[in-house]
Amino acid sequence: MSSDTTAMEPGPERDIALAGEYVLGVLPAAERRAAERRMEEDASFAAMVESWQSELAVLDDHFAPENVPPAIAARIERRLFGDQGARSPGLWGSLAFWRGLTLASILVAAGLAVAMSGILVPTDDRAPVLIADLAGENAPIGLIAHFNSGNNTIHIVPAALQDDGGHSLELWAVPGDGVPRSLGLVPHDGGLIAIDRSQAEELGEGVTLAVSLEPSGGSPTGAPTGPVLLAGALQ
Amino acid sequence: MSTIASDDELGQMISRIAMGDRAAFSSLYQKTSPKLFGVCLRILRQQAQAEDALQEIYVKIWRRAASFAAGKAAPMAWLVTIARNHCIDVIRARRPDPVDIDDAPAVADERPDPEAAAVSAGEGRRIDMCLEELDADRASAVVSAYVEGYSYQELAEEHGVPLNTMRTWLRRSLIKLKECLQR
Repeated sequence: MSSDTTAMEPGPERDIALAGEYVLGVLPAAERRAAERRMEEDASFAAMVESWQSELAVLDDHFAPENVPPAIAARIERRLFGDQGARSPGLWGSLAFWRGLTLASILVAAGLAVAMSGILVPTDDRAPVLIADLAGENAPIGLIAHFNSGNNTIHIVPAALQDDGGHSLELWAVPGDGVPRSLGLVPHDGGLIAIDRSQAEELGEGVTLAVSLEPSGGSPTGAPTGPVLLAGALQ
Repeated sequence: MSTIASDDELGQMISRIAMGDRAAFSSLYQKTSPKLFGVCLRILRQQAQAEDALQEIYVKIWRRAASFAAGKAAPMAWLVTIARNHCIDVIRARRPDPVDIDDAPAVADERPDPEAAAVSAGEGRRIDMCLEELDADRASAVVSAYVEGYSYQELAEEHGVPLNTMRTWLRRSLIKLKECLQR
């Protein structure tokens, strides 16, 4: 990767043309692959491709909508989610997981009551506390997240979640740009998640918090990999 | 057919899909699959292949949703890009270009364009104004490559010129187009 691409031999015009050829789609397969490799290695070339994509997107008007055979939707869901997904499309979350999730019901009830009365939640009176009510369509329970901007903590109630063995629950923030940021794993034994200042600065009213089901230890990729079980906005 | 969703709505759906939300995926499919199927039929021109392509495209959308950066690309344009790229890959694999394309020179036409400096297009349809600055047949080559997914071979046949000439034309057109778009 060169720091000064304009001084390079082939010249910027040639790259602009190549990026345009790639976006138009006229290149033979081998050259398309070569252009894609270049995009991965050369940020300025990738930027040229993106620029062409957004400029030429106006031509998308030429594509008229067509009726889609109804069977295709089910085929896609089966591909992605297996038979269960196809039988109950739009099923959100893993029922098997919820069945396996042990809730200490007394603790939950007590925890909720305490949380509602505001006694347990470690708050600094002067610091604003935002609350997100996290719920999911097929989730039998909800969680309440209290974000305290005074000490950069998020308190999750109820806390008494038990791992079903192979999974972790991971908490995410989805700020305005729509890119989920991990805030950490929801602890099994205590509902307090400490976040760092840069994470806290991205939290505010309207920011969505979400809980996803991840492999034990959390998402291996830095982005959510499992189903979103619960979500709600900070208010 | 359902009503057209705004880019805001589509962007939110894609963000939720990135979090694994199947309901959002299902909504996105309902809102956008007719358009993307239109892309598939236009480029692939065969019903069965277009159906297969549509499946692959939504599998890619599900898997790549996390890479969608809201605010950077318009959601519908991002979706159409995935669809076009997939369809073009399919036809390039189906009809491999047998001809070896050399590196045709990509030198911009030196011919001065008296109108060019005077043009100040509004955003959005700027590409149309810039296409008008090209000779009509060259502008139509750009549009038909994009919309029909033509290869250089097909463009050369349609315009009755040798393949390398076609490539030189198109590259020059792209450079002129970019100059205009950046003005």
